[in-house]
Amino acid sequence: MDTTTATTPMNLENSPAFTFTASTFQKLHPIEYFRKFVSQGVRPDGRLLNGFRPTTVHVGVITTANGSAMVRLGGTTVVCGIKAEVAEPKLDSPDQGYLVPNVDLSPMCSSAFRPGPPGEQAQVVSDAINRVLKESKVLDLKDLCIEEGKAVWTLWVDIVCVSYDGNIYDAALASVMAALANVRIRNPSYAGGIIKVAGGEAISDENSFRLKLNRTPLSSSFALFDTSLTLLADPNFAEESISQGQISITIDEHDELCAVSKIGAGSSSQALLRQCVDRARERSKELRAIMSAQ
Amino acid sequence: MASVADAVVPGQRLGHVQEFNVGAGTYALQDFIYASVVGLKRIMKQGGDNELPFMTVQRENSQSAIPEIEAIVTCKVVRVNPRFASVNIMVVDGKPCTDDFQGIIRVQDVRATEKDKVKIYNSFRPGDIVRAQVISLGDARSYYLSTAANELGVIFGTSVAGGSLVPISWQEMQCTKTRVIELRKCAKPL
Amino acid sequence: MDRKRVPGPELSVAPLVEYPIDHERWTPQQEKRHDPKRQPEDLRPIYLKTGLISQASGSAYIELENTKLACGVYGPRPVKKIGQGFSGMGVLNCDFKFATFACVKRRNNTRQDPQEKELSQILSQALAPAVRLELLPKSVIDVYITVLESDGWGSCLAAAITAASVALAHAGIEMLDLVAGCSASYMQIGPSISSTTTETSSSSGAGNPITPQIQIFMDADTEEEKYEQGAIVLAYMPSLNEVTHLLQNGKAEGPIINQSVEHCMEACNKVYAVMHHALLESMKESKDA
Repeated sequence: MDTTTATTPMNLENSPAFTFTASTFQKLHPIEYFRKFVSQGVRPDGRLLNGFRPTTVHVGVITTANGSAMVRLGGTTVVCGIKAEVAEPKLDSPDQGYLVPNVDLSPMCSSAFRPGPPGEQAQVVSDAINRVLKESKVLDLKDLCIEEGKAVWTLWVDIVCVSYDGNIYDAALASVMAALANVRIRNPSYAGGIIKVAGGEAISDENSFRLKLNRTPLSSSFALFDTSLTLLADPNFAEESISQGQISITIDEHDELCAVSKIGAGSSSQALLRQCVDRARERSKELRAIMSAQ
Repeated sequence: MASVADAVVPGQRLGHVQEFNVGAGTYALQDFIYASVVGLKRIMKQGGDNELPFMTVQRENSQSAIPEIEAIVTCKVVRVNPRFASVNIMVVDGKPCTDDFQGIIRVQDVRATEKDKVKIYNSFRPGDIVRAQVISLGDARSYYLSTAANELGVIFGTSVAGGSLVPISWQEMQCTKTRVIELRKCAKPL
Repeated sequence: MDRKRVPGPELSVAPLVEYPIDHERWTPQQEKRHDPKRQPEDLRPIYLKTGLISQASGSAYIELENTKLACGVYGPRPVKKIGQGFSGMGVLNCDFKFATFACVKRRNNTRQDPQEKELSQILSQALAPAVRLELLPKSVIDVYITVLESDGWGSCLAAAITAASVALAHAGIEMLDLVAGCSASYMQIGPSISSTTTETSSSSGAGNPITPQIQIFMDADTEEEKYEQGAIVLAYMPSLNEVTHLLQNGKAEGPIINQSVEHCMEACNKVYAVMHHALLESMKESKDA
């Protein structure tokens, strides 16, 4: 970032004699610093306004989990691990299993988070992912039934953020979908109230099953910057902290919308929303290509 | 540039205390000088021929800045009361801090002369950006800062009307929008 | 009830794993480890990289085959806890955490785990002697470890020590030396006298030794730890030749402990080479950038 030799933009501040390095200026006047770049159509990290950061997806990275995936979105790294355990079904849905996604934003991944129970942002992201998985019927929970009324599978979907640099929702949702597609559970047998799985031999298609995913929703997020509500695709941490609001568009593989959310930033026009949806369509295709290349 | 051989990590032995003086990024233990940071080994010649050269290690990843006594810091005023102004220290010696440190400017440290006439409210307002000097590590919470020098004081401010302020004397600033004059302890531009 | 997380069933258990009768489990036999390619004194190959966590002052990621963990260092930064008096020395605060999916059995993260607490404390004891805290008055350095996958308790702790000291150096914090961590388990080898496992056909060996033989396995994995009689974890400053922390569990005789400490020190020197390399790599990268 220091390569941009921006000393104080003199016209912004009327004290011509104080000069700072770019990083000091960013710290003191983050919004002014940003406006300078945005007015030129670029962002401090060199991206165009609608550019997403380089993305990589790796699946099966955790051998102690039934399914796992690691997604890197620029400086944001998340690892999703899914563990399957046996539980009693709810009384009102005796043939349905559980799908429990939770995001952990630990103090390791950014100084913005404190140790202890999940903070506000972690709760919001966990809930958003839970809603997308439920409302879009990604998984038929009946597929997780072992013995009706007695035992079902619980999929504990835990998303750990290793490094936080903004746009956790896109990264977390992509990691959940990649990990769900990676899940393998050994075929269970039910006898006298005990669930057993066969151990010993290596896991294969004969002794295990995979999950059938009905849809694969993936999201694209945009930050709304300044009063002009300039769209910044895939905001990083610095951009998130000065943005007015955020729009997330979640789209499945048939180009159908699964979820749209807009947080903050007063009112925005329909045209703005359309612009987001159009860009999200392109992005979702790119991301799908990256995921299927795995 | 430097060769790979000059790259050192903490704990690497660099030389004997009889040959070198202990410089930045190094420490002496018993008879030897060791590196204490990751960086490049540099031998600094200094002073007369009789003096030993300094063994230093130039840091590769600089530690995030922490305030030290006599350091010049840039901070933002968060609260004022009649006895002191509370500030968040954001930049130390030109290096931005990753996490803001707390500091206070006590009423007796605002300026060097006529200390008894100083009123905090006529010197700083919340939101002002102030250049100050660290005078002590302070108490458990805050560093103590001083603006008692010409080049120290408010460098940026916003007026009541929301316009930016321009210094017109060492204790007055004018709003660019409404031309209203507000009182501040201004920093003399360097 | 925990309202801050998406709720799951109150109680869930891992399914019972049933092994076929003819299934052969690994048991500690002479000169043969769980991973047959490793010799008793061999460590697993170490992958160590700095700078993974973009927001942290310093960070490191370490992988010993299936033991994977990330470490982030923040600081020096102002002390956040209210009520702590003025301190002329910096404070080193460590937090050790397992991801819920890191172990064979799922960990429930709703409560602070006593094991995590203990490991946090060991970690800070092992690192503090190497950090020049006297240079950082009124400040705190936070070291956070997240274990993504654990394969062996001892190796996990050792890897955390190694990664944390590299992350501290990467953060530019002044240190006396790097701290390398290494673990070793001692176990009884050969045909076992007291049958600890479901042994079926291994008692055919001729000339049973009367005294049980103890073998030291360096950097044991989970499967090997199941059979261990004891283990040590050593934190060692290789260039100053000083031990910062030593943890010994279980039953062992003096000579065995001495021997394993020596083995660990030797292994720490190997680990040090990897750490050295990783830090020089990080220097090169920052120069290229």
